[in-house]
Amino acid sequence: MDGNFPLYLIPLLPLAGAAINLGFGRRFGRLFVSMVGCGAVILAMLVAWKAAFVLHGEENLVLRSRFFEGDWFYATEGVDRYSIHIAPGLLLDRLSSLMTLVITTVGFLIHLYSTSYMEEDPGYHRFFGYLNLFTGAMLILVLGDSMPVTFVGWEGVGLCSYLLIGFWYTKDANAYAGRKAFIVNRVGDFGFLLGMFMVFSATGTLTYEDIAQPAAIHQLAQPFHWNAAYGTIAALCLFLGCTGKSAQIPLYIWLPDAMAGPTPVSALIHAATMVTAGVYLVARMHFVFALDPFVPALVASVGAVTALFAATMGLTARPIKKILAYSTVSQLGFMFIGVGTRAYSAGVFHLMTHAFFKAGLFLGAGSIMHALANEEDVMKMGGLARKMPITRWTFLIYCLAIAGIFPFAGFFSKDAILAGAFTFDYAVVPGWPHWLGHAIYGVGLVAAFCTAFYMFRAYFLVFHGTYRGEPEVLAHAHESPSAMTGPLVVLAIGSVVLGFLGIPRVGEHFAEWNFIDEWLPPGLHAAAEPEGGTVTVLMLVATAVAAGGIGLAWSFYGKGVSPTAEKLAASFRGLYKVLVNKYYVDELYDLVVVRPLRKTAWFLWRVVDAFLIDLVLVRGSAAVVDRVGRLLRYIQSGDVQRYVVAVVGGAAGLIILATWWGPYRSSKFQVDVSGNDVVVRAHAAEQPKETQGAPFDYTFDFGDGSEPVHQSSPVAVHRYEKLGEKEIVVSVDDPRWKTSSKTSHKVTVGPR
Amino acid sequence: MIPVQDFLVLGALLFALGVAGFIYRRNALIVLMSVELMLNAANLTLLAFARARQDVRFHVFAFMVIAIAAAEAAVGLAIVVGIFRNRHSVNLDELTLMKH
Amino acid sequence: MSADRIIFWAFAIIFVLGGSLFTITRRNAVSAVMSLVATFFALAVVYVCLSAHFLAALQVLVYAGAIMTLFVFVVMVLNRDEMDPWARRGLLSRVLGIGLSSGGLVGLSFYLLDWKPEVTLGDLPGEWGGVASVGEVLFSDYLFPFEAISLLLLIAVIAAVVVARTPRQMQQLGLEESPPTAAEPSDAGSHP
Repeated sequence: MDGNFPLYLIPLLPLAGAAINLGFGRRFGRLFVSMVGCGAVILAMLVAWKAAFVLHGEENLVLRSRFFEGDWFYATEGVDRYSIHIAPGLLLDRLSSLMTLVITTVGFLIHLYSTSYMEEDPGYHRFFGYLNLFTGAMLILVLGDSMPVTFVGWEGVGLCSYLLIGFWYTKDANAYAGRKAFIVNRVGDFGFLLGMFMVFSATGTLTYEDIAQPAAIHQLAQPFHWNAAYGTIAALCLFLGCTGKSAQIPLYIWLPDAMAGPTPVSALIHAATMVTAGVYLVARMHFVFALDPFVPALVASVGAVTALFAATMGLTARPIKKILAYSTVSQLGFMFIGVGTRAYSAGVFHLMTHAFFKAGLFLGAGSIMHALANEEDVMKMGGLARKMPITRWTFLIYCLAIAGIFPFAGFFSKDAILAGAFTFDYAVVPGWPHWLGHAIYGVGLVAAFCTAFYMFRAYFLVFHGTYRGEPEVLAHAHESPSAMTGPLVVLAIGSVVLGFLGIPRVGEHFAEWNFIDEWLPPGLHAAAEPEGGTVTVLMLVATAVAAGGIGLAWSFYGKGVSPTAEKLAASFRGLYKVLVNKYYVDELYDLVVVRPLRKTAWFLWRVVDAFLIDLVLVRGSAAVVDRVGRLLRYIQSGDVQRYVVAVVGGAAGLIILATWWGPYRSSKFQVDVSGNDVVVRAHAAEQPKETQGAPFDYTFDFGDGSEPVHQSSPVAVHRYEKLGEKEIVVSVDDPRWKTSSKTSHKVTVGPR
Repeated sequence: MIPVQDFLVLGALLFALGVAGFIYRRNALIVLMSVELMLNAANLTLLAFARARQDVRFHVFAFMVIAIAAAEAAVGLAIVVGIFRNRHSVNLDELTLMKH
Repeated sequence: MSADRIIFWAFAIIFVLGGSLFTITRRNAVSAVMSLVATFFALAVVYVCLSAHFLAALQVLVYAGAIMTLFVFVVMVLNRDEMDPWARRGLLSRVLGIGLSSGGLVGLSFYLLDWKPEVTLGDLPGEWGGVASVGEVLFSDYLFPFEAISLLLLIAVIAAVVVARTPRQMQQLGLEESPPTAAEPSDAGSHP
């Protein structure tokens, strides 16, 4: 079964659906588009379930699939270690199997919901094409057996996110939000790439299974720079990628704006699946992340701070989707606490439950907006409980689930995370306080309190009290059609029952009940388990905190906005303003990043492009050519004879050059006399290259009756016996030209 | 015995006269004759070097030059006749078609 | 200066240089051609001085005989005296060119005359430069260029016929399909 399972079908089906819908959807009408869009995902879901059952049958079974044998590309440079062979392979183990189930199941429900929600939209086929494309890319991300394949999916979901945030691109704000998401994600992707390079340079491979080998881990543990190992730097870079994709501090800013997209998109991409890619990556590469204890500590800390930070921002937000967006950021923070305290199974468990109730919340919000003519402000809603009973009850279930009230899913998963944080001992991290786990737990509790509060604030403001918006909108308010309420109900059921997949062990009780822990390989289990008593206490505390948040929300917003709440906001005006303005983080980014970039861009535009390139280089060169051409026109007279003048002039110049500076002036020589001695130097002391090998023969006749000297050197020394006037004759024989030349020179030898 | 450089000097002067004729005269015929003069100057120089190096291969080259001069004269004169047919003039300074 | 040099220079100045000077200064084209013929004959004599007997004969046969006959024919065809033999346009550049060329070459001449060392000419074998010695090289080492030159001459003859034709003649030869309507195909105005 191993090699033959058609694993590639899982991402390929949605991709094929995307191709069909984007290519032909406009022509074939809505029914066809819905059939293809939902059909592709449901088929993928069935394959994924089948695969999961195959996996379930056998421990440690892993399914692999290759699109084709061979490499995508490879590059070799001498040493084997630096050769890259990248093959497109898929890998399904128990972790990715869980992810595919969540993606396809929740994805299918959201597809189904969209058929009704997007019914009136002119870009119906485009929407489903993008949704399918997203599903395919997300499945590639999850199923990739190596980092490059995951990266393809990673970029693919980023692209789809961009396309879907800006789906209604005619509005400037939407296009801007899409761009913002894309650019901020790019920063994170850069980190992913760097991490990939680091891993490769350390281990020479990019396949997860190969990186997990002890030899590769050993390589990753080698020190790199700055007292850090390769693995540490790689994990930090990868974590930057995770903060981008999963909207953690400092790169969370794009997610609230991403709510500009259609609500099903927010549910699928920006709540249930894509934003959890970072969590998945940490779990997938946990052997790299766990290498240096500093990294998980950082991951958990960032997660905790983000969880609290986003939760406080959710307290004052008014658009319902914004509330949910902050909630998502906050819940993602919880997941990072989970994977950061090495309770990977808890993080993944929360990822799964969160996918259900957060998708449900978004779909519920969509249902509300659908009823209220796209009104988003919770302050302009109220008393909708009777008008929309299904939406109301399912919404309540989701709220209870996210708040962490007992039998609902969030209770178990959040509790698992908080328990993991509480028991995690940071003493192993040098320089980090050992009570960090407790601190993170405390922060998490506060965040959980805020979560319970703002979720029920939204719930009460929407469904209880009296209606605060325009009356004519209320008149049209109605329960949504069954294609929308159906998924709501299914998701609500999931939000209730899924928690029981991860019942924690309480002392000796429920030892075999944690199905998630059992399903995931042991490497992903929580590092430490709390005592039975502690578990109970932690559960009680968490429930109390959640209940407290709900109670506070009831007292403030149970019957509309209570005067106490307004008074509180008034008395803490400064804090309130900071919260409403989201801690001015966007403004900070604007000041620190955007404006300097704009200045630089302005400089590049005005000075470099407009002035240097356009004016100086482009027009300048043209002007130079133009002027030179005008001058040269006078030369082109068409008169052959004048052309010949130029030829003759050049030839004459060459002749003069060759005659005066040429190397062949061997016949002249100079004589230096001092006393009885003469030194004769013939010119052409430097013999031209082409005559080397056949040197000139020099004959020096000093004119005093002595024998003429034959030699190949142009310099000769002679001592005269008698003084007086002498005639020196030098003859030069050129063996190549068979010629000889003779020059004579009269010198007077004598005392001065 | 006449030294070789005398022949070379004679060739140079002859060539200069040929160039002068080429540059100064308007009549295309005379210009062609000037070309012949220059070719002969080149021939003279070739033969002088042949003498100096005692190499008869220079003579072969001079022979080629004469043959090419014959071809050049034939084509050149034909062109002159053609130009005269078309423009009723063989004045070179009226023929500035190469400008275009 | 030895006597043979004096004789050589006297002959060269009078016949070679004088003849060529006549050639380029005559207004009447026939006189110019005749002067050129004289120059070529004189050059043939100079070639003999260089022991180039075969080339001297060739000079007389081809140049003074064939090429000059061609010139005379063309002069007869054109048969026009020049009113103003000197090109006047671009006089400055012409003066410059003459100055450069004659200056350069005269300078070279003085340099050569100033060439103090005597280039001694070795003794020659008796047959050197004759038909036999040149022919031996020509038909052994340079056979291919020789044949190529013959082909070139053939091409030149055909080219000359084609270039110098009249349209009517071409029609008679069957080389042109229809008589051209315009007699001046290459007028300056028709060019861009």
